[in-house]
Amino acid sequence: MITEEFASLLAAAQCGNEAAFSRLWRDANPALLRYLRVIAPGAEEDVAAETWVQVVRGLRSFRGDEQAWRAWLFTTARRRAIDLARHRSRRPEAPLDDIAVAQMPSTEDSAEAALEHLSTVAAIALVSGLPRLQAEVILLRVVAGLDTDSVARLLRKSPGAVRVAAHRGLRRLAQLTADAGVTL
Amino acid sequence: MPNSPHSPLQDGPAVTDADLEALLAGNRDVAPRLWPVADVLAALSTAPSRGELTGEARALAEFRRRTSVPRRHARPGTAGLRTKAAAGAAAAVVVLGGAATAAFADVLPAPIQRFAHDAIGAPYEPSARPPGPARGKTAAPGPFASHGPPQASAKPPGKGGNPNRPGQEEPGTGQGQQGNGQGQQGNGQGQPGVGPGQPGNGQGIPRGTGQYGDPRPQGRQGNPHPQATPAASHARPARHRPAVDT
Repeated sequence: MITEEFASLLAAAQCGNEAAFSRLWRDANPALLRYLRVIAPGAEEDVAAETWVQVVRGLRSFRGDEQAWRAWLFTTARRRAIDLARHRSRRPEAPLDDIAVAQMPSTEDSAEAALEHLSTVAAIALVSGLPRLQAEVILLRVVAGLDTDSVARLLRKSPGAVRVAAHRGLRRLAQLTADAGVTL
Repeated sequence: MPNSPHSPLQDGPAVTDADLEALLAGNRDVAPRLWPVADVLAALSTAPSRGELTGEARALAEFRRRTSVPRRHARPGTAGLRTKAAAGAAAAVVVLGGAATAAFADVLPAPIQRFAHDAIGAPYEPSARPPGPARGKTAAPGPFASHGPPQASAKPPGKGGNPNRPGQEEPGTGQGQQGNGQGQQGNGQGQPGVGPGQPGNGQGIPRGTGQYGDPRPQGRQGNPHPQATPAASHARPARHRPAVDT
């Protein structure tokens, strides 16, 4: 999160300042990729690139604070991911056997991998084992830094439903880590 | 809410919603059994790896491409003004072109046609068109005004003209046409005394009082059945009752 500098960076980027846009991109793109690894596995970089193209197109007309900026960014990414999923469902390109095993979420394997080496990738894999809504809510709250209301608008759910999904997802994560015998 | 009846979460102190909210807020001050979850969430938010920044060049290229063109026209509204100016110019070209075409086709009303004649050399034949109303003007007698006495004979109406039908460019329509200032009135060829509804004038002497044509003929009624040969095929019925009508 950029916080204090965000307004000036956004204004500069909207005026065409490349360095300011680079700061915004560097701040948001890693979180974007981590989110997309869960909702668009295997296509996160392409979807992220399309998302930034959309964002650049609408950058001048954007108005809002950093929370709104991130909400816009992740909403755009989510729509692109949904479009991609629809496209793939209409025109499947590869049989299931050809998909790399690492790209297929598996709760047990992901949990073991995460516990062996709690890297970012392993943590993402662990979260990927959650039900879709719970995983999305946790990622949008933790990775994207959005509050409950923003997540609710993004997912078109009620704030209560978002809160419940987040709590269930966290309890499920606790269950997974406890089942794996992790003690800290 | 544990998902398994044998969940270790049930063995210790209950995990409260406050703990879970604290986890989401990045706070590690939670129940010890939630520490592994806190580690997972912390791992989700670590510093970006190098691989997560590889697409910057592509994004910057798109940014450069999108912002370089508007920057040249940086002033807001300039593009809109140019668009409007271009649209206005196109509309003007269409209108002027149409007007010029109409002028050369000689289909414009007389005053406008005359103006077009003066301006762009469009054809203009005063005798070939009915004189327009000279509003507010009392035209001086034309050069032929004194030629010949007005003839009281009737003159057939123009082609297709119905002397009894008002509103067809014929006198007697109540439109109040005065001398047209074209010097054609009372030229001796004009045929005063026309059919019904046409006040004869034949003199071409305009009424200085601005008298408008009376839709009801006051002059001698011409014979609607022409007995006299029209003086000329192009002669038009006079519009006014001649000043000297006796």
